[in-house]
Amino acid sequence: MKNKSENISLGLFVLIGVVPFAAAFGYAILYSFGIIGVVNTGFTLEFWKAVIASGEFFKSFLYSAVIAFISLLISVGGALWIILKFRNQLERKFLSYISYLPLAIPGVVAAFFTLQLFSKGGFFSRISYNLGWTETTVEFPDLVNDAYAIGIILAFTTIVLPFFVLLFMNVYKNERIQELSILAQALGAKKNQVVRKVFLPILLQKTWVLIVLYFIFLLGAYEIPLILGQEAPQMLSVLIIREIKQYDLTKISEGYVAAVIYTVIVTLAAIMLFLPKKHGAYET
Amino acid sequence: MRLNWKPFILSLFVILVLFPFAFMVLLSFMSGWRFPDLIPEYMGLNNWNTILGSEVGLLESFFSSLIISLSVAIISTLTGFLLSRTVYYHPRKRVLTLLTYFPYILAPVVFAACLSYFFLKLGLFGNITGVIVAQFLIAFPYALLFFSSFWNKKIRSYEDLVATLGGSPVQKFIKVILPLAKSMLLMCFFQTFLISWFEYGLTSIIGVGKVQTLTIKVFLFIKESNYYYGALACCLLIFPPIILLYFNKRYVFKNPI
Amino acid sequence: MIKKIVLVVILCAALLSCGSENKKDNQALKTEDWETISKSTNGKTVNFMMWQGSPVINEYINNYIIPTVKEEYGVNLQISGGQGPEIVQLAMSERQAGITESQVDIVWINGETFFQLRSIDALWGPFLSKLPNSQYINFDDPFVSTDFQQPIKGMEAPWSMGQFAMVYDATKADDPPATLDELEAYIKKHPGTFTISNDFTGMTLMKSFLAELGGSPTSLNGEFDEDKYVKLSGQLWDWVNGNKQYFWKEGTTFPKEQSIMSQLFANGEVNITYGFSEGGVEERVTSGLYPNTTKAYPWKNGTIKNANYLGILSNATEKAAAMQVINFMISPEAQFEKARANGMDSNTILDVKKLPQQWQDKFKNAPGRQYGIKLEELSEYAIAEPAPEYMIRLYEDFRTKVIEK
Repeated sequence: MKNKSENISLGLFVLIGVVPFAAAFGYAILYSFGIIGVVNTGFTLEFWKAVIASGEFFKSFLYSAVIAFISLLISVGGALWIILKFRNQLERKFLSYISYLPLAIPGVVAAFFTLQLFSKGGFFSRISYNLGWTETTVEFPDLVNDAYAIGIILAFTTIVLPFFVLLFMNVYKNERIQELSILAQALGAKKNQVVRKVFLPILLQKTWVLIVLYFIFLLGAYEIPLILGQEAPQMLSVLIIREIKQYDLTKISEGYVAAVIYTVIVTLAAIMLFLPKKHGAYET
Repeated sequence: MRLNWKPFILSLFVILVLFPFAFMVLLSFMSGWRFPDLIPEYMGLNNWNTILGSEVGLLESFFSSLIISLSVAIISTLTGFLLSRTVYYHPRKRVLTLLTYFPYILAPVVFAACLSYFFLKLGLFGNITGVIVAQFLIAFPYALLFFSSFWNKKIRSYEDLVATLGGSPVQKFIKVILPLAKSMLLMCFFQTFLISWFEYGLTSIIGVGKVQTLTIKVFLFIKESNYYYGALACCLLIFPPIILLYFNKRYVFKNPI
Repeated sequence: MIKKIVLVVILCAALLSCGSENKKDNQALKTEDWETISKSTNGKTVNFMMWQGSPVINEYINNYIIPTVKEEYGVNLQISGGQGPEIVQLAMSERQAGITESQVDIVWINGETFFQLRSIDALWGPFLSKLPNSQYINFDDPFVSTDFQQPIKGMEAPWSMGQFAMVYDATKADDPPATLDELEAYIKKHPGTFTISNDFTGMTLMKSFLAELGGSPTSLNGEFDEDKYVKLSGQLWDWVNGNKQYFWKEGTTFPKEQSIMSQLFANGEVNITYGFSEGGVEERVTSGLYPNTTKAYPWKNGTIKNANYLGILSNATEKAAAMQVINFMISPEAQFEKARANGMDSNTILDVKKLPQQWQDKFKNAPGRQYGIKLEELSEYAIAEPAPEYMIRLYEDFRTKVIEK
């Protein structure tokens, strides 16, 4: 009896958690080799060769990785600095509520907002015009849809930084870093020694899995680069969806090739990240 | 004597956080705001009046978003909770957990693009049910992983205790486990609600433009260059979570047990 | 566990390979008379997939078409957003999955989508001659009856007519460029004020340029010619790449869609823009987006003139009701409303001379455009849409040979 219900729920787990992923992956593989697809004619390696030869996917991968990395660096660094300097103040009632507010902002809104503020016809451009700093919109620097992905990084940071502030606040409290720091100081450690030997190691060690996870999320982010990115190179999800939805029906399979490579890469990352035993890592 | 710079920085933080919200609300009241003007031609309730009344269907979008997100949150929290017990008591729990991570970390929009065929086949394309199912597929792994820390030795020993004392499985569940899990259930509900409420890419693919949630509307208005309506849609999108946050702040982060 | 996954993949493959092909063709509908068809549509829900990128079009559809078909025919019209590739994608996936009841009944398309949908046999028809209001359309006009060099054969109903036009701000240029050489000279003098949008509109401009490089307005007519394309597009990309340093943002990136282009023009970032429906000047000046010194003008070698169309998918659920809606959309009253200069401002597809007298008068007496150019003023510069392959190739090559360079 007990065993039966266990089996049912294990079955359900496989049905919801495993089958869709496997199905999606299988579909993408079959499509990428031209085995399925209305205009495809049968097994071929042509699409794989084309994707590898063009190198666009790998460029996009690198581009996405760099953007994700820089955004995370700013976010994690900024959050650590805020916690280090303003921890006590952030515990006050008003500020603590304020610090939760950014969680209510979805990616779409962050992108929309960044566009409104930083585009050449946007809020800051108007201010600089009215202050006489710029005379035409062209003079205002390129901050969205720009070559250095500044707009994307800004929006990513808007979303991710507040999250890490809250996360670090929590770890700080739960890991009793306050007490440990006082103890360390009592034992004669200097202020910056406490930061380097107690504060940073504990916070980062407890949260590194989440940081890596966020890296993977940003790598696959869609709506923010869709609104704020440029036409080439594009971030991964934008590239994949564009290729899957393109005009030239005979090349749709190339989009699935990209989807397969992307899936394999993140899957491998997950295996490396989560298969080894780990202790006490944080999740939200 | 050192100048105390902290209050300035703190005020700056507060402004930085509140600015987007204020900006969105103001923008939603405006029209005819052309470069390089700082002040728009019109400021008032016009946009809100027309958009909530006319055929643009923003109110409808609001309610369909609400239905979708509530359903996704309820279903995924419950199934996640119930199934996580099996997974975390299973001898091969590490492999099972790993399998859960695969759909969790994949970009939802790519996942949806590869799944759309099956959704079509099952008649789940272009309707609310389909969108709920699709969002459930990405919220479920989250919920499942969320409860991973709940099923620890302590809970297990409670369960054993109840069983030894002659409690039935149902009693055990209702009298012991549910009360213990209550705050985590609420948290998970809140988080999965947000996952669904904020979702764009997957919804746009599985909903084929027919299920128009608020995020879809925001995109539509951006495409139209109709920034005032866009801001209005953004307002509808951010204020429900703010209200939830107000009541529910403590549920955002869980404490390790 | 791995075994299980393999098993699932195999199962999926099996599921995929047996996509059933039981398409309902609704032959009976094609022979039924209009009265019977018309009576059967009350209470039906029709799904219409259209491009939703323009406020005035959305306004027209949401606040005029939807309420009117509801009131007059009891048809519940629902809109979903999607254009060209999305429509084709949907039709393709549905075909692959063997879906007999499509998500969408009516689609708003133009030649290249028409071509693609026909190549996967996804359009239902011919139905056009069934529609009573098709009598007002002049099928002798090649711009109506030929869509991207393909005869429409009753498989799609023409809906609007428009011509591509160049747009400039009269306060910024006295003599706007109208040939490639003039454009080159202009952007060298005013760098950063011109760009090509990486969308349907931008590629249509590329077709005009291609025709100019071909030496005459008719140089692209006829079936797709690979050699001609390779030669002319080679010259075109040389021209673009040679000059893109003078484009907006030094040609390092290109706007993704038309709404961004209009925004750039409105902000004064670019001095020259372009677009369908004679440049869309009227709407944008009236709405206050463009300054009222904005003018549309022709390109010397001509710009594309084309019609856009409404089609019914071959697996549409409500074909009869879809015909009802389309028939209304090409009715004199709906077309008159659509042509309103301070509304959607889209030229009627109907031949006004064929209309009953009262409608002729109405069309004649309607207030004209205040700012925009008239379609007739551009007629001597009209060139026909070349074969769809040109567009598909231009898209691909613009990305690989310009953007990614």
